[in-house]
Amino acid sequence: MAQLYERYASIVYSVALRVLGDTGAAEDILQEVFMQLWRSPDVFDASRGSLAGWLAVITRNRAIDSLRKRRPETGIAEMVVSIEPDLAGSTDWSRMLERIRGVLGSMPQPQRSALEMAFFDGLTHTEIAERTGEPLGTIKTRIRAGLLTLRKAFNR
Amino acid sequence: MSAHEQFADDLALDALSALGGEDRLALEKHLETCPACRQEVEQLRVDVSLLALSVSGPTPPSRCRERLMAAIAKESRRSRARLSKPMAWWRVLEWGAAVAAVALVALLLRQNRDMRGHIAELESNSVAQQQQLVQAKELMATLTSADAVHFTLVAGKTPPQPQGKAIYVRSSGTLVFLASNMPQLPPQKIYELWLIPPSGAPIPAGLFRPSPRGSATVIKPPLPPGVEAQTFAITIERAAGSSAPTSQPILVGTRG
Repeated sequence: MAQLYERYASIVYSVALRVLGDTGAAEDILQEVFMQLWRSPDVFDASRGSLAGWLAVITRNRAIDSLRKRRPETGIAEMVVSIEPDLAGSTDWSRMLERIRGVLGSMPQPQRSALEMAFFDGLTHTEIAERTGEPLGTIKTRIRAGLLTLRKAFNR
Repeated sequence: MSAHEQFADDLALDALSALGGEDRLALEKHLETCPACRQEVEQLRVDVSLLALSVSGPTPPSRCRERLMAAIAKESRRSRARLSKPMAWWRVLEWGAAVAAVALVALLLRQNRDMRGHIAELESNSVAQQQQLVQAKELMATLTSADAVHFTLVAGKTPPQPQGKAIYVRSSGTLVFLASNMPQLPPQKIYELWLIPPSGAPIPAGLFRPSPRGSATVIKPPLPPGVEAQTFAITIERAAGSSAPTSQPILVGTRG
């Protein structure tokens, strides 16, 4: 567990901090996610993806739940996340991060913003539409286009 | 890409957990019957994980690691404690089983001892009964033997007189009758023994013919139990016997 923490604590903490915007709350989520991983390590299926991506998504979900002050809706066993190549190697990891950020940086701002509002702020498409004043259909299209752009960048 | 374009945008929102209301319900219903769209959602979730990783950078404070390790150590101790409880429980069971086994052995030994005592008692009773049986057989053989010689002791020069001795147990209706010096009878006649109760008719108690020496026995004739006997009497009846006396008694004896 100590090795896993050394390798993935930054990812978990960063996602939690991005969603919650509070270091104390992010630390709680960090604790919760790793304790859950320690208690039930078999919920992660290595054959179906990387641990980094899996941890990042379950952390986001837990953080959103915490943000909304409600009980967790998504069990970590339900999540299926896969990223290739594996991010275990630090070189690959750095390269991967650069590529992801590069793709996001190159996206039109409204598209990237819609993605981030949905993922990091936990807003529904209706809420995003209300907040931005854009039509629902437009928000839907932007979000889908943004995800497909990420996929295309990694030739998936 | 899914063949169902009408759900394509909703699939992306669903992967982000950003689809709500009726749109979400409609999509969930569609996903139940559409493998292609389910596969597309899986792909979109992978895309979402890329988005999640994009914010990686900040490092948690060192206290987070200490806090996590402390929590894991604490929970490990609890887990060990939980695991140790069943072991202690099983040990209690084992000890209980051992105690029960010892108690069972003690019980069996006691039962065995009691059983041995019972068997010894039965054996003893059996030996006694066998001795009694042997004595009874010897008695019967003596009484009924053709070689038996009967001696009647009388006072002075009194000639031997016919006489009988009846031994009767009322409760069981058992009767043993011994006769001696009985005169011989013609073939068409027989002696009949009667049990005479205090009231009521005489009850037939057996037929007999005396031996050439005048001796006779009647052993356990069929009699109803519980009948009080006031008198026993002997009459001479026709060879087949009679259900009621047809002649005057030649011998009569009261209880004495």
